[in-house]
Amino acid sequence: MIKSLKRAASLGSMAAILAAAPALAEPVTIEWQNINLTESQYEPVWKHMVADFEAAYPDIKIKPVLVARKDHWTKFVTAAQAGEAPCVVTTDIAPAAYNGYIQSLDALWNAEPEEFRNGWSEDIMRGVRFDGEVYGLPTYGGIYAEIYNRDLVEAAGLDASNPPETFAEYKTWAEALSGDDHWATAILGGPTDTTTRVLLSWIYANGGEPFDEDMTESRFAKDPKSLEAIKAYLGMEAAKLAAPGATTTNYLEQTNLFAQQKIATMRNAFWGIAKVVGDNPDLEGKLFVAMPPHGEGAAPATVARQGSVAISANCEHPEEAWEFIKFDAQAKYAIERALKANFMPLRNDLADAPEVAGDEMLSKFLTIGQSAIAYPPSHPYWEDISSGDIVEAVQAALLDPERTEEIFTALDEKLTEKLNDI
Amino acid sequence: MNPTNRTAAALPAPRYGRRLKWAQRRAAAAFLAPAFIFLAFVVVFPLGQAFVTSLYRIRGLRSSFVGFDNYVRTVTDEAFWSSLGTSLVFTASCVAAHLAIGLGLALLLNRVTVARTLFRIAFLMPWIIAPAIGATIFLWMLEPQFGVINYLLQSVGAISEPIAWLGRPWSALVSVILVDVWRGVPFMMLLMLAGLQTIPIELYEAARIDGATPLQQFRYITLPNLAYLMIVGTTLDIINTIRHFDIIAVMTGGGPVSATEVLPVLLYNTAFRANRLGEAATIGILLLGIVLAFSIVYIRAMRLDRDGGRD
Repeated sequence: MIKSLKRAASLGSMAAILAAAPALAEPVTIEWQNINLTESQYEPVWKHMVADFEAAYPDIKIKPVLVARKDHWTKFVTAAQAGEAPCVVTTDIAPAAYNGYIQSLDALWNAEPEEFRNGWSEDIMRGVRFDGEVYGLPTYGGIYAEIYNRDLVEAAGLDASNPPETFAEYKTWAEALSGDDHWATAILGGPTDTTTRVLLSWIYANGGEPFDEDMTESRFAKDPKSLEAIKAYLGMEAAKLAAPGATTTNYLEQTNLFAQQKIATMRNAFWGIAKVVGDNPDLEGKLFVAMPPHGEGAAPATVARQGSVAISANCEHPEEAWEFIKFDAQAKYAIERALKANFMPLRNDLADAPEVAGDEMLSKFLTIGQSAIAYPPSHPYWEDISSGDIVEAVQAALLDPERTEEIFTALDEKLTEKLNDI
Repeated sequence: MNPTNRTAAALPAPRYGRRLKWAQRRAAAAFLAPAFIFLAFVVVFPLGQAFVTSLYRIRGLRSSFVGFDNYVRTVTDEAFWSSLGTSLVFTASCVAAHLAIGLGLALLLNRVTVARTLFRIAFLMPWIIAPAIGATIFLWMLEPQFGVINYLLQSVGAISEPIAWLGRPWSALVSVILVDVWRGVPFMMLLMLAGLQTIPIELYEAARIDGATPLQQFRYITLPNLAYLMIVGTTLDIINTIRHFDIIAVMTGGGPVSATEVLPVLLYNTAFRANRLGEAATIGILLLGIVLAFSIVYIRAMRLDRDGGRD
């Protein structure tokens, strides 16, 4: 009897060990949701990086989550609410951290050696801090510059080597570049936060301050420099210097217009170039970039959209996720992203890398980036403010330019209340 | 009395004892249970959850109980009333057009004798296409610079410069209404066609012998015989249209300047853009109330028929 019991026990133990063995060998799967994964120019870059990572870390598998750009945030929020968010996600830090969708990376960040942490400037790191803690790692940025079509500029009798530096000069150029069925530029007024990014680039270039330093007061109309820039920018549609239909123009429509040579210049980031050249290969080598024009007496300025990667709150393998984030942040992939997919590197140590310095367009963007103000501003409600309230005010002002000041005064009241309703 | 009641009256009174009745009840309950449990999971539980959600102030994964504060906040918010107004204009316009055009097409199709099936399939096409796909097609057709609609209108000299159909409040609202009319007409057409085919041909023959004009035949034979179907169809269409989301979400996202922000789009924007899930659930519950009100009309219309209202 005892013998049989012992045999049964030993068989049971063996079965348990055998059952546990494959489970121990099972690799950890990390889901990765990145807003850009569906972009054709980026696809070979990330696939190659993932393959390298899985070869280097055979115990970790990466499962990319492909999501259309406009559905990225919605899907992440829905998954986070269900406690099923992908482990690694690109997101704006403040809204995601405030809502509890991502976890603090302070401990992981502080455990890294100093030479790793020195890869990012304190200015850049400010964009990934919330309540004093690190919640993400900056991966790439979009520095907004003025991109011109050289052929159209020269056809209008303008000197491409001497692009406009001030609002007044830009207006002169815009008049020369506009005609019956073509326009100098496109104003963005569609329902995405790109509308707000471009608006802010004009305001900053006029020395405007649409928000106070601690983001508790909106000053679009209250600050004369901001209001002046808004009127100069939005007024171009009524003056027929910008393509009609601005209230429906988003990134996609703007780049379509530029690729089809309906507009001669667009305010966009480095990735916009890859998009238009992809749409119209004839434009390859025919584009040039310049610092966005600035207001009289103001210093040149623009915005830099910062893309950050974070770890979701429900992620059960934060250490493995962090390994993946660090791997993706390596210099060689940042350079590859920049050269093949036009994503601007945010690491300090890449500007002087020979591959980057040797690319004239990329270097120009990096130079422009030295005068850029980081976007998005850090506020939990920024998603709603930038894609909702500001867009509505821009649309209302485009439809009724005479009421621009009144519209933005109302916006200031509404936003000031919202900024403080936390 | 309708046929169902006549059949019931003709049956002999049940002779089963009390025990057998109880057994029958148990069997009925057993047969109904799977459907009931399924509905509880997919309808009752989510609705209950939505109501509970509406009582909380939710910011991401944090929440605090606020009672009916969200309801007070929502009904005192100008955006809600503006959105409700847009919903009513959108629904009334769409439903009226669905009925008028659907009835017109049904009358035409009822007379067609050649290639009848082909015509019916052709008219049903908009209903077969997924609303989001149909909306995307129209989005590109209405595009100001490259859209085919501006191109055609400019080609015939109807307009001198491109029009941003979705870029101005009124034209955007009219555009989304027209796209919904394109999508919704086949349902009403199908319903009216089915109704027309139940009207006895003898009624028209008798009317013709009595010298009734086609208009009089329509007024005194067709319309009264279709009245019940029109009430049922319109009520169903109102319920369907007032909660419509996809066409507007794809084409305008509720813009410009909230001109096309119907209640379901406001709900979506509140939930996912503003991350105010409690307020979004509140809008959902209020929208449910509106839909339920129309559902009562629908159920009453059905009861009227069952109780012999049509006889």
